[in-house]
Amino acid sequence: MSDLFDTLSVLILMTAFVLMANKKVKAYIKTFRVQSALIALSAGILGVEAIMDEGRYDLMVVCVLIVVLKVIYIPGLLHKTYAGIEYRTEKDFILNIPILVLISCSLVVFTYFSFSASGFGVNGSVIDLQLVNTISVTMIGLLFMITRKKAIGQIIGFLEVENGIFITAMFSTQGMPFIVDMGIFIDMLTAVMIMGVLVFKINVTFESINTDRLNKLKG
Amino acid sequence: MKHHFAIARFDKSIILYYNEKACGYLQQESSEGMDIGMEVFQTVVLLKSSFALLGIAAVIALIASGKQKFCNLSVNMICIVSSILMMAASGFIILSENQFVKIHIFDTAIPFLSLELAVDGLSALFLLILSILVFCISVYSIGYISHYFGKRNVGLFYFLYSTFILSMALVFTSSNAVFFYISWEAMSVLSYFLVIFESEIEKNQKAGILYIVMTHIGTAFLLIGFMISYSFTGSFDITGSSQAIPEGAKNIIFILYLLGFCTKAGAIPVHIWLPYAHPAAPSNVSALMSGVMIKTAIYGLVRFVMEFLGVQHTWWGVLIIVIGVLSAFLGVAYALMEHDMKRLLAYHSVENIGIILIGLGISFISFNGGNTIIGSMALTASLLHTLNHALFKGGLFLGAGSIHYATHTKDIEKLGGLIRTMPVTALFVLCFSLAISAIIPFNGFVSEWLTFLSIFTYVAPGQAGINIILIIAVATLGMAGALAAACFVKFYGISFLGLPRTNQAAEAREVSAPMNIAMGIIGGICLLIGLLPMQAIRTIDKVTFSLTGASSVTQLGQGFIDPWISLDNTGSSISPAEIFAALAVVSLLTLIAVRIIGGKYLERRYGSWDCGFEALNPRMQYTATGFSKPIKIVFRILFRPSRKTELKGGSRYQPDEIEYTTTSESIFEKYAYRPAFQQIITFSRRAKFFVQTGKIHNYLIYIFIAVLALMAYNRFV
Repeated sequence: MSDLFDTLSVLILMTAFVLMANKKVKAYIKTFRVQSALIALSAGILGVEAIMDEGRYDLMVVCVLIVVLKVIYIPGLLHKTYAGIEYRTEKDFILNIPILVLISCSLVVFTYFSFSASGFGVNGSVIDLQLVNTISVTMIGLLFMITRKKAIGQIIGFLEVENGIFITAMFSTQGMPFIVDMGIFIDMLTAVMIMGVLVFKINVTFESINTDRLNKLKG
Repeated sequence: MKHHFAIARFDKSIILYYNEKACGYLQQESSEGMDIGMEVFQTVVLLKSSFALLGIAAVIALIASGKQKFCNLSVNMICIVSSILMMAASGFIILSENQFVKIHIFDTAIPFLSLELAVDGLSALFLLILSILVFCISVYSIGYISHYFGKRNVGLFYFLYSTFILSMALVFTSSNAVFFYISWEAMSVLSYFLVIFESEIEKNQKAGILYIVMTHIGTAFLLIGFMISYSFTGSFDITGSSQAIPEGAKNIIFILYLLGFCTKAGAIPVHIWLPYAHPAAPSNVSALMSGVMIKTAIYGLVRFVMEFLGVQHTWWGVLIIVIGVLSAFLGVAYALMEHDMKRLLAYHSVENIGIILIGLGISFISFNGGNTIIGSMALTASLLHTLNHALFKGGLFLGAGSIHYATHTKDIEKLGGLIRTMPVTALFVLCFSLAISAIIPFNGFVSEWLTFLSIFTYVAPGQAGINIILIIAVATLGMAGALAAACFVKFYGISFLGLPRTNQAAEAREVSAPMNIAMGIIGGICLLIGLLPMQAIRTIDKVTFSLTGASSVTQLGQGFIDPWISLDNTGSSISPAEIFAALAVVSLLTLIAVRIIGGKYLERRYGSWDCGFEALNPRMQYTATGFSKPIKIVFRILFRPSRKTELKGGSRYQPDEIEYTTTSESIFEKYAYRPAFQQIITFSRRAKFFVQTGKIHNYLIYIFIAVLALMAYNRFV
């Protein structure tokens, strides 16, 4: 079973790389959808395990919630938000894409290096590949936020960071307390809604969704 | 049932433990059986109900904020009842020596955060001080707050007022450092809101910001101290043992505690918030702040340094004495220059904290030197002065409140002649002025004399360095006493005697009965302690005994106090009551003798000689500035006075107007605080441009780098 989760975590890491290499908004949203679907799959497998072993249903509920929220609702919301904005492709990056992918690779190596010494997670002193992969997803998400100038990049990056943290917690604890999961979902949903509204506001105020220009608000 | 172990300090002490969940009390080592158990039960119930009442008062204040009169009356009544309960509970604990009550209220899932109250003699003494003052101030507030009706949110005021009292009570009774810290912060924040209650005045806002900044800096020191202490002992229990802490760490913790607590106490050089915050707050709150809140620092010093850490070096005591000496002298010196009566009183708080600290310092040195009797005497003196200062300073702030209520001014240069329009207030303010100037037969004398006495008895051959410090302390105490008397001659003389200087003063009316009754009660207690000093000393001595295991009261001789080095000598003693009686009898006899010997004398009424002017007017009177001028000249190195005379209009020889301004500077503000603030502001401005750029990407990079650094830390450490 551990091999299956290792594979899933590698796949999730792959989607993070794919996201980093993208520059079209539609592709951002699609990749995010795939990533969320993979996470839902992991939660589903863990959920089936939990039902078989302990008779707990909460992980299945989480799985369903991920499908409804992260695979269907939020990507749909983002599509709707961006339908009205005349902007399809990210053009100016802080660093170009091949370099970003290389930096992402080194981030994975660094994460591996960082966790290779600690007896962390459920597997004790054995290096936990899932942990390394999923934390790398978080770090790559953060890097994605930094390198994208448009607000859509920030939102997708934020969601990716959130995905990374969520899957890390799920893999290392085999399912968190239900109330914590619920709290995270509600948080994320609120954040996405607020950001969706803010993107409109930014667009109206600056006639652009370039977050670079936010420093004009500084007093 | 969970197991909590109360720690026995002395063999004979009776340790009782009450657990709410078990609905009963567990009694260990009791020597007197069920009676004492019942007494503890009562104490617990009294304390709990008094705390609960304060909470109820806060809720009622918020609910009934629409009906101002009802809110005013009901909240004050509840506070009065609550303070009576608290008084009874603390009285029980003080009088039954060595009793130690633990009340377990609740546990939380968060580590170290559990609400457990521990009340021993020391806590009980401070609770007593709090409850006496709350009683009187609540009576006073019934009348005083009426000037807010229709202008301000009275409900909000009373919510802050009752939660502020509750937070102070929790500070005095918390049994672990985490909860102590939380209550301490709550106290600071609530008092901040009370300071800026009249928030539309810009001066009050500035005072509030200065106060909250200073108090947070102080609290930060305390927090670091608690953390260091925890890292060695592994426990936040404040009644625990500090044996695990090494010597060097104890020194550091002491310095941190001293800085933290002195900031709250307003000791020089961290006093700067005090003369701004006290005048800004409403007078009943200033009375509470000056009377009780700044004493939480004294409580902290005794509780955390003396009891928990244990005095380790002589220099701890010497440092405290030096701070005390500085505060006592400079406090009163700056008070003399003030014409705003509440600022004047605030500086006197600095002075009195200095006197308390001198007593505490002597006690530290004596305990460290093994001289427990003098140590306990000095501690008694210091605690008694804490009580006394709470009383008379509370009273004086209430008096200042009454004057402000009647005349709408705090500037004593605009007052005058109030003794005719406000005779009752005048009488009580005179009592408090005498008490603060340490004049027989009021209470200020008792504790100051006891402080003097403990210093004198500790002076001994073979400890040259300490002797010099002690002699300087004695000299300062004497000087401070004299200057305080001068200051209150000025305060009382300018505001109550003579002719009214403005219409406001002339049109003043006597304040309402509750306000006068409250001041009367405090005045009565002041006089009572002054006339029966031994009773007060015995009570405080019980607290000292339960803390340190040493009692000085048996050594104090038959009358009042015996100023000999060999303490059991009963040869000379002072009895304020007898002196007072003698004074009364002598004056009466003199009067009778003059009548009998001198026979009838003629009475002729004239106007005062006016140097040939047409008529005397109020502007010919002595002003407060004029009165304090000689002292200003003598200490010009301290005050840096400057004056400016400006002629306006007309010719040079016959101007229409002459404007005369005098200024004096505060050396601490000019040479220490202003440059420091300037540096911080400059740094912040630069940081705003280089660190806080307003670009979201930069902020994200900060987070990114921080996470990477933490991951590297995880690898290497």
